Amino acid sequence: MNILPVRKRKRRNIIPGFGLSLGYTMLYVSILVLLPLSMVFINTTTMNWSEFIETITDERVVASYKLSFGTALAAGILNVIFGTIIAWVLVRYPFPGKRIVDGLVDLPFALPTAVAGIALTTLYAPQGWVGQFFDFKIAFTPLGIIIALTFIGLPFVVRTVQPVLQNFNGEVEEASASLGANRLQTFIKVILPELIPAILTGFSLAFARALGEYGSVVFIAGNMPMKTEITPLIIMTKLEQYDYAGATAIATVMLVVSFLLLFIINMIQWVTNRKFLHS
Amino acid sequence: MSIQIQNVSKAFGSFQALDRINIDIQTGELVALLGPSGSGKTSLLRIIAGLEELDQGAILFDGKDITDVNPKERNVGFVFQHYALFRHMTVFDNVAYGLKVRPRKTRPSKADIQKKVTELLKLVKLENFADRYPSQLSGGQRQRVALARALAVEPKVLLLDEPFGALDAKVRKDLRRWLRKLHDDFHITSIFVTHDQEEALDVADRIVVMNNGKIEQIGSPEEVYDHPNSPFVYDFLGNVNLFKGRIQNGKLKHGSFEADIPELFSQNHEEAIGYVRPHDIQIEKTKISEDAVHTTISHIHIIGPIVQIELKRTDAEEFLEAEVTKEHYHSLQLKVGEQVYVRPKQLKVFIPEDFSI
Repeated sequence: MNILPVRKRKRRNIIPGFGLSLGYTMLYVSILVLLPLSMVFINTTTMNWSEFIETITDERVVASYKLSFGTALAAGILNVIFGTIIAWVLVRYPFPGKRIVDGLVDLPFALPTAVAGIALTTLYAPQGWVGQFFDFKIAFTPLGIIIALTFIGLPFVVRTVQPVLQNFNGEVEEASASLGANRLQTFIKVILPELIPAILTGFSLAFARALGEYGSVVFIAGNMPMKTEITPLIIMTKLEQYDYAGATAIATVMLVVSFLLLFIINMIQWVTNRKFLHS
Repeated sequence: MSIQIQNVSKAFGSFQALDRINIDIQTGELVALLGPSGSGKTSLLRIIAGLEELDQGAILFDGKDITDVNPKERNVGFVFQHYALFRHMTVFDNVAYGLKVRPRKTRPSKADIQKKVTELLKLVKLENFADRYPSQLSGGQRQRVALARALAVEPKVLLLDEPFGALDAKVRKDLRRWLRKLHDDFHITSIFVTHDQEEALDVADRIVVMNNGKIEQIGSPEEVYDHPNSPFVYDFLGNVNLFKGRIQNGKLKHGSFEADIPELFSQNHEEAIGYVRPHDIQIEKTKISEDAVHTTISHIHIIGPIVQIELKRTDAEEFLEAEVTKEHYHSLQLKVGEQVYVRPKQLKVFIPEDFSI
């Protein structure tokens, strides 16, 4: 009697092209993201440890970290609040010129950032159109930086929240109302939780973008050491002085901290997603 | 709570969804709104719930006009076809929602909420699922959660919009029996929308048949099934055979078919349609009266205790459908291709012009 050998069959995925697409993704990410980023670390290693510590803990540099992370965070939060409102209005209410407003939202992406910086500076300078109405300075202070960063990060939250709101099941709101909830309760307890993942995504995008922003900020910031000098500017300055190792050392700090922050945001998102999108 | 629907009309643009609807619903009644899609039944239900505004007319709860009352103050439980559960909340939190959003003065204590929700989950047989999320439940379970959630606020009226429409046949049958039992135990005035006539006949105390934004007929399931007052109702509630012909001297004539219609005694009409339910068709091997039609059996389907027989008339290019019991089928020894005579036991005639608008 012949016994057919039980052959272990290779598991095949129903969706074709897994190997190819994964390989491509890995290669692409490596060449485009990992390789340049690892150069930052490699370049930094030309310094010794004490030089490294000295560079990254320089008083002026530390002040710039605080400014950069602080203003990026503030801009991210502002964008969350106003971006959500804009997305809400664009999805929920019909009004004349809606499409134009919808198109305007993307403009900060299209505009060269230096142009945005110059425009904002002229507006918010003490003698500018807007600046003259305030008794305190806006341009050339951290406030001005926040305005520039909010401007360039505006589309992120709007564009991530908008589709989620668009697909939102209106029946759920009606269910909430028929159960006796008022509008505010419905928004906070029913709608907002569904938007949180999108808002978080928008926030992390806007925040990351703001952290690395250079072009628009250098004009409005005034670049006073210790006060309105952002980290990317310090890196630029060092590069101009051919201090490549110093520049990459500071970049390393930025990179590690940004990575940690984005990682934390992703973790939060993962937890909130898991809550209702299957576990 | 009794509900009066008075002269309610509603249009969406140029589409008249509801046209002067009047219905009186008694306290504790279970009423089905039955009709094809686009008949306005869901619009009417949503208007009763306050989720949709009406163009004219009034809705009264216990004689009190609530037409302009906000849905959240109507104390109405609404169950949606696609459940509309809060997917970021557990089953427990979904059911507790209506209690938790109450203003502090009337909100029950945490322990009371816990007790009430546990009770309701027991009622819908989901006490072991309190910590699950809706995405982890089957369709039938989700709809039970939706029902428990609606019942948690102790509504005076329960409104269900095609509650079992998205479920498979078996679950559907179980759930509608269960709904009937629930209603018998709690006596909440309930209205449910359905396009499934079987569901309406099975569950409701009273059926409101709707078509094109108008009410065709209101009555008990027997009434609307056995005595439909329009061709539409006849057609919509169950299968039907048509005898299209003319009335001559109080007789419906079509081909070789001739039947006395007592209520149209000595009348003449150019056009008339006779309606016969498949189970009201008698199959005979010999011709014993004028109202028997000569036919050939073209198909026989045996479905459990019922045998469906498709017959082709020899005097016209028309098919008839008959339903007989299995015993009767065996005693007749019918075969495909056999020639038999078919006689309507109960024939209802409608004159089309009475119903054309």
